[in-house]
Amino acid sequence: MTEAATDIRTDMRSFLEENFLYMHPGVELKDGDDFLALGIIDSLGFVELVEEVQSRFELTIDDIEITEENFGSIDAIAQFVAAKQAS
Amino acid sequence: MSAPSIADDLSRWATTEPDRVALIVGEKAVSFGELDGLTDRLAAGLREHGVQRGDRVGIMLPNGVDAVVAIEGTLRAGAAIMPINPTAKHERVTDLMQRSEAAALLCDKERAGEVAEAMSAVGEVPWFSDLDQVSSDVPAPTETPDEADLAALMHTSGSTGGPKGVMHCHGGLSFVTDSIIEYLEISPDDRVLNLLPLSFGYGLTHLLFCLRSGATLVLEPGVGLPGKIVKLLEGQEITGLPGVPTVFQVLLTLRGLAERPLPHLRFLTNAGAALPTPAIEEVRRTFPNATLYSMYGQTECIRTCYLPPDQLDTRPDSVGVPIPGSDTWIEDDEGNEVGPGMVGELIVRGPHVMQGYWRNPGATAQRVREGRHPGERVLASNDLFRTDEEGYLYFIGRRDDIIKSRGEKVPPREVEEVLHLDPAVHEAAVVGVPDRLLGEAVHAHVSAREGQELEPAALKRLCAEHLEDYMVPQKIVVHDELPRNQNNKVDRLALAAGGE
Repeated sequence: MTEAATDIRTDMRSFLEENFLYMHPGVELKDGDDFLALGIIDSLGFVELVEEVQSRFELTIDDIEITEENFGSIDAIAQFVAAKQAS
Repeated sequence: MSAPSIADDLSRWATTEPDRVALIVGEKAVSFGELDGLTDRLAAGLREHGVQRGDRVGIMLPNGVDAVVAIEGTLRAGAAIMPINPTAKHERVTDLMQRSEAAALLCDKERAGEVAEAMSAVGEVPWFSDLDQVSSDVPAPTETPDEADLAALMHTSGSTGGPKGVMHCHGGLSFVTDSIIEYLEISPDDRVLNLLPLSFGYGLTHLLFCLRSGATLVLEPGVGLPGKIVKLLEGQEITGLPGVPTVFQVLLTLRGLAERPLPHLRFLTNAGAALPTPAIEEVRRTFPNATLYSMYGQTECIRTCYLPPDQLDTRPDSVGVPIPGSDTWIEDDEGNEVGPGMVGELIVRGPHVMQGYWRNPGATAQRVREGRHPGERVLASNDLFRTDEEGYLYFIGRRDDIIKSRGEKVPPREVEEVLHLDPAVHEAAVVGVPDRLLGEAVHAHVSAREGQELEPAALKRLCAEHLEDYMVPQKIVVHDELPRNQNNKVDRLALAAGGE
């Protein structure tokens, strides 16, 4: 894992804890866990999450990029952001 | 001859075109023939487990093949569906099952824990977390329910007195389904993407009109990750997208959507709450080839009116005209019909008016009344409307204090009761605040008992433990004391206007 990817994970985890995870004290979210399956983020939550990723990492994100593959877990976001930054 | 029953729509297509695709869920396509077979097996199994004609069956399932089979199987067994929001907690499930004296409950494994707890308080009523447990290969019942048979018992929230069960018979649902098919011009070539819960009257109509018209229903359990919706619109060549304002507002946040041609998408519908005029314009810019229908309805009659799309430029804030085959007018407090420009209560006449509220003659009498002519039954909507000179309808406001969030009804009192489960809460007032994404956001204002501390996050978790997802407040504000009005009551207007 690159240092950058680790930072993205840390940043995302703190954002998720502050905004979503406090509602689910029983959930210990692992980096690969699926947000939708765990029920911790709904469609409105994803709007917030995408806005956060766009502003924090200064990216522009297209409609069809907002999928489970890119935003479904902390790992997915880290890979997506790293790939976007590299492109 | 009367219209064919909605309970026969599936088998009619299964007989004439069994391979035609009825339903698409994720990667799975289900033909009318397959769906008919699953429905037969469930109907037979429900009968074997004691469900009789006229009984109610609780259905607590997220959008998916099982939800469709549960609805159709229940109707084919001659029983009435009683939808339960899939995010409901056990107290609500117990309450609904007891109120309705339902004969069975169908859910899935994900809900089995919540349902087990609920059903232990209900008593000897069978429930199943897997449709295979109840399905049977014995022949399914063959008699068709008649128009007067109860088809659905759908619960709606009022300001007081807990949920009320709205009774719709087969005749009423068949009528409203045909009426929607007529004004949306639904054909067997349509492919409708339904993201709205089938447990919600608006969501259910899409299943009913697709099965009746031979159209294909593409079913998703919600918006989820919106990129997936865009992919479905393109990949599944969707022709119709129903939404509530929240769905459209989420889609409007997406970059690049307006540049997609989406040549198949021919109509959009909005109901549940009004889209603000600027959002209507933005939706039309984003989907330039699709026609937008602004609609209004309530559980008590499913759908009341729609704005013919050619009127959208002239009167974008109108909800239009009564649905085909029905009538509406506006009355003042004395029951006199009022003319254009005057605000009064919207009255609805037509076969889609509910039979009444389940075992609640008092509440029924307030809403279902004799009409202008002897023997006529009409629905008093409890909503305030006016018309313009040409007779088009405009929604003005609600007469009660219900909050409309994500298109669903949130009774403030139910949320306040949950907040009071925390003994440190002295006072609680829940209000609706305008919100771009939600329509109205749910805000709770609380004060603590002397010497006690309150923590907003803990109170929000308490709400999430007891309430459906859409009822959980977005924001909880702790006050030393709640503001008072001149009558020394909690000043809800000040709180709703942003008083912190």
